[in-house]
Amino acid sequence: MSACRSARCLLSKATAAAGSPLGLSKGTSKRTFHSSSPRPARKRRPHYPSIKASDLKILNEDAQTLLPKYSDAETQLLSNRYTPSQLAAIKAAESVIDPRDVLLQGSQRTDPWRLPYHSDLIEVDKIIDHAEKLDVRDTIPQGKKNVRLANAVERDAAISKIATENLAKLYPGGLPDGQLTPKQQDELEQAVEGAMMQASLDPRAIYTSNNKAELAALADPRYSVVLPDLPRLDSRLAKATRRLSSEEQEDPRQKRMLQYLGWDKSKLRQIRTKTLVVHGVVNQTRMGKIRSMYYLTIAGNGDGLLGVGEGKSVEPEEGRKQSVMAAIRNMRPVPRYENRTIYGTLEKKIGATKVLLYSRPPGFGLRVQHLIFELARAAGLQDLSAKTPRSRNKMNVIKATWEALTSQKLPDEIARGRGKKLVDVRKVYYGGSVH
Amino acid sequence: MSLVNLAHVCSHLQNASKARLAVTSIPVSKLHVKLMLGLQREGFLSSLTLGGPTPPKPFLLQAQPSPEHLDNMADLLREQPWLAYPVADRKQPRAVRALLQMQTTTNGGADEAAGEPGAESTTTKISASQLPSINTSSPLTRPGDASEVHVPLNPAKRRLWLGLKYYQNEPVLKHMKLVSKPTRRIWLTSEDLGKITRTRESAFVKGLTHPGECMFVTTDRGILEARECVERRIGGMALCRVW
Repeated sequence: MSACRSARCLLSKATAAAGSPLGLSKGTSKRTFHSSSPRPARKRRPHYPSIKASDLKILNEDAQTLLPKYSDAETQLLSNRYTPSQLAAIKAAESVIDPRDVLLQGSQRTDPWRLPYHSDLIEVDKIIDHAEKLDVRDTIPQGKKNVRLANAVERDAAISKIATENLAKLYPGGLPDGQLTPKQQDELEQAVEGAMMQASLDPRAIYTSNNKAELAALADPRYSVVLPDLPRLDSRLAKATRRLSSEEQEDPRQKRMLQYLGWDKSKLRQIRTKTLVVHGVVNQTRMGKIRSMYYLTIAGNGDGLLGVGEGKSVEPEEGRKQSVMAAIRNMRPVPRYENRTIYGTLEKKIGATKVLLYSRPPGFGLRVQHLIFELARAAGLQDLSAKTPRSRNKMNVIKATWEALTSQKLPDEIARGRGKKLVDVRKVYYGGSVH
Repeated sequence: MSLVNLAHVCSHLQNASKARLAVTSIPVSKLHVKLMLGLQREGFLSSLTLGGPTPPKPFLLQAQPSPEHLDNMADLLREQPWLAYPVADRKQPRAVRALLQMQTTTNGGADEAAGEPGAESTTTKISASQLPSINTSSPLTRPGDASEVHVPLNPAKRRLWLGLKYYQNEPVLKHMKLVSKPTRRIWLTSEDLGKITRTRESAFVKGLTHPGECMFVTTDRGILEARECVERRIGGMALCRVW
């Protein structure tokens, strides 16, 4: 910085510099007092997804073609079937729902709790919906509000009154008279008992007030504090969390892997992964020691696919992700006998580790050490026993087991190698209903 | 019946299949020949040829008979079918005759794929030019055919040549292990063998649990596979297990 320049030109804006008395060059901008490049202003995210005009146009066109308005001929056809008032209702309903919304968000519910009708939920259904909440302060007419605990006499009177009301609802034509059958007698006794129980639990039996409207409000569920609010669908939170599937953030690594496997996301969700080995490793360089984390993860779909992956990174989370992706990418089929166990004894030796795997009868379970257990569970094996007679190095046990499971020879292959013909007679006897 | 030599054969076959050899040779003995015949019957070996220190010509390098020659042979065999069977020369010693008998039977199994009726029939004669060896040829075969193998007259120089098999880049015979040891022979009853073939341990012999595992047993009816012994209800001395 030259000492000749005044502080004014340093702090002045670039636009002002053009007309400055010192005649500085036009491109001179306001200088910063540090050498690193300035940080751009925080990128603000809009509150609503920005839609391009072209996309909006496509959407409008789709809405027009897929959900067109009724033509005159169609209206004519409808008028044959519906009364004018029904037709008006249909048109009103059609106009309420934007076809663009139907395209973007609309999906038919298939769950058993779906509503038995199509509605935009504007009106409150007295049977299905909660009653609208009311506030005591606003709705009860003026008068003295004096709720107090009822004494014994008031309580008994209130209970008998409420019980009578309840019984009147159950028997609108009055209580049955004359000779009753034992069944009727039983029903009546139950009704009286239920009415008395309800009455004793009613807040009007516990509290009392001179103000009749207030007393009535005590029993009205619309004034209840416990009654949940109706969900507000137009809340900002709901809007912020509502996202289209295309807008979802995608992990580039995951995306590449999905392309590699030719899978979609739903298939990836069925894969179970578990990190079995974690430890730190050190690389000695001339600069010093570089510590990183090593991860060994297994992945399986529980139905005959099993993979083992390793990852290593200075960043722990990065290393773990690496190993998970490698495990999913390395998944190989595990041949299973009757979808539960292996074909005969398997042996595999890696380094000083030897793994012996034995097939076992149905219901035997996974009587194996924990690492082999995890592998067998991920692969969907149910009956297995194993021995690790030599070294039990975790990494090598996992790798040896994986190699042994995935490189099994099938009986058909063995028979073909020996030039023999093998026929599974169970498939004949049991009509092919074996695995 | 030395099991030491059999142990050497076992480990040699494992090593040869690990090295992905196409043919290998083992010393000749009656036990070895019979066991190898059993292995061939179970499909572990592709061919079995008695020969000298040099391997027999591979099938692909052998002279292929022309169609006319095959037709001629077929006509000849129709008229004189006994030509299909080996006839040992009376002048030869008995041992040589027996060997040739064995040789032709084994070749018969190996050359089934070739599908030539003439190649299976061999008669023997000692040619003057190759005096120390037995030349196996027949009126039906021509020079360079599969059946023309020179077997040395000196038994010490004879070798049994085995064709090894591979399927999908993996050896068909990968493991071969003795069950009886030179110091401890194991005799098994047919009940024992029944348990062993059903993957259970019996008489301190582990069951056949590996996929496609075979065990060979020497019995008074020859060397048989364990399952065959169970079928025939014969016991015997366990030799080796193969998988």
